[in-house]
Amino acid sequence: MGNAKVLELHGLTKHFGGVRAVDGVDLTVASGEILGLIGPNGSGKSTIVNLICGLFPLTAGRVLFGGADISELPPHTRVALGITRTFQNIRLFGQLTVWQNLWVAQNSGEQRKQNFLPRWLGGSKGARAEIDRMLEFFDLGHKRDELAGNLAFGEQRRLEFARALAARPALLLLDEPAAGMNAEEIEQLDSRIRKMRQNGVTVLLIEHHMELVMSVADRIAVLNFGQKIAEGTASAVQSNPVVRDAYLGTTTGA
Amino acid sequence: MDLLDLIDTIQSIADGVLFGTTYALLGIGFTLIFGVMHKINLSFAAASIGAAYASLLILSAVKAPAVVVFLMAAAAGGVLGGLVYLVGFKFIPLANPLATLMSTVGLLLLIDEIIVHTTAGVPLNYPALFSDVIVPIGPFNLRGDLMFVFVLGCVCMTVLLLLLYRTKLGLATRAVSQQPTASQLCGIGIMRVNILTFVITGVVGGIAGAMTGAAIGMLSPLLSLPLTVKGLIVTVIGGLGSIPGAIVAGLVVGGLENFFQFLRGVSERDLYIMLLLFAFLVFRPGGIFTVAAGRD
Repeated sequence: MGNAKVLELHGLTKHFGGVRAVDGVDLTVASGEILGLIGPNGSGKSTIVNLICGLFPLTAGRVLFGGADISELPPHTRVALGITRTFQNIRLFGQLTVWQNLWVAQNSGEQRKQNFLPRWLGGSKGARAEIDRMLEFFDLGHKRDELAGNLAFGEQRRLEFARALAARPALLLLDEPAAGMNAEEIEQLDSRIRKMRQNGVTVLLIEHHMELVMSVADRIAVLNFGQKIAEGTASAVQSNPVVRDAYLGTTTGA
Repeated sequence: MDLLDLIDTIQSIADGVLFGTTYALLGIGFTLIFGVMHKINLSFAAASIGAAYASLLILSAVKAPAVVVFLMAAAAGGVLGGLVYLVGFKFIPLANPLATLMSTVGLLLLIDEIIVHTTAGVPLNYPALFSDVIVPIGPFNLRGDLMFVFVLGCVCMTVLLLLLYRTKLGLATRAVSQQPTASQLCGIGIMRVNILTFVITGVVGGIAGAMTGAAIGMLSPLLSLPLTVKGLIVTVIGGLGSIPGAIVAGLVVGGLENFFQFLRGVSERDLYIMLLLFAFLVFRPGGIFTVAAGRD
């Protein structure tokens, strides 16, 4: 795994009109790491994810991926390079089947180079095997021909997770994956995130469910009002008075 | 109504249904573009007729068989589709709901004007296939040229449906129309999908234009406006965004059009089609295949 930096944010800034949603955030994610990103509502977590995957332009700062500046690249190019994500509010292709949702998302640089015909007509053998493995890993094999829009909530969350892995990402951005899940589902999510890391995927995890973050993340960064106020291991962050103030709502006077 | 009248009525409805494939293709074109852009492309039918006109250019150079002319119409339609996207959509602010409506109306008028100026407004003959063939079935006669138009339309729709529902390109197109943001973040280049959709619908439109020319036996600049209206009617009756709906609505409108023409004459027939549209807008605004929506 080494200490290679997968993602570097330098002075990341995004203003919406007069609102400083993200204000000069520096953050580094090392290869094979699970970094938790937490903070109160409106602290800029989701905006950071949107900036990393290129949904809107930066006001200032730079995004480096694998050492290369990707700040100006469009979203689908970033996917081809190896950055994928899930959504806080599920955004599946409801009128496509489970299988098709995964097939249509196989868009990594390597997958795009596969032979033209099988890639367009039903998928190559390798691509289909990959989808089968994914369906099994996420326990969705029995639903493969069902329309994604007809799945139960928990299944939709799993499918979205699977879809984000379809393009073989090096960096996966999980935007509140545990929202609306019960304890058992969160446990499964926890183990899936760990297994993914074993397979070499680096994870940036945004989550309100503290138990999950504290358990699975190697390091945690804390945001408040668009700025990074703390960073470190779970125990260090938990005992940090600045973090406590941010969550309990007292002003820190900083 | 005696038996002969009944036979004539059925005959004219059947002819109309055969020609209705043209309307179905036009409706599919409007619907597909609306699917990815969430905008109406009002220049679509005019571009389709324009493509048919462009295919006649080859006849002025060499004596080509009708099949080659049809292929030229399809190719010209694809090129025109791409141009319509570049001129009417790419640089137009999509957030403004009226901007592309104006730009495509502009393109509609522009294409019409180009046709009128290059042909001096005189209708041109268009080649047909199997126009001398008539297949008698019982008391009915099936016209060869209409049969060809019908078969070509069906082939075209089949290929299009396979493309949309079986290939990754088609799935990407449908993904973009369902979830534009998420599809970008699944690695689908929206711009590419948009251009391809315009080119493919342009090809379909070019074929529909050629089919119109073949069925009527000529092309006239007066065709583009009625075809635009028919295409939009078919799109609304079929349900905006529904391809099966556009197919069924195209055949129904084609059949009814001839039925009304037979009953009440050519000057009145469009009146009844408009009434049908009105009925759909009031009682079933979502189109044939959606659940009837009540008013708020």
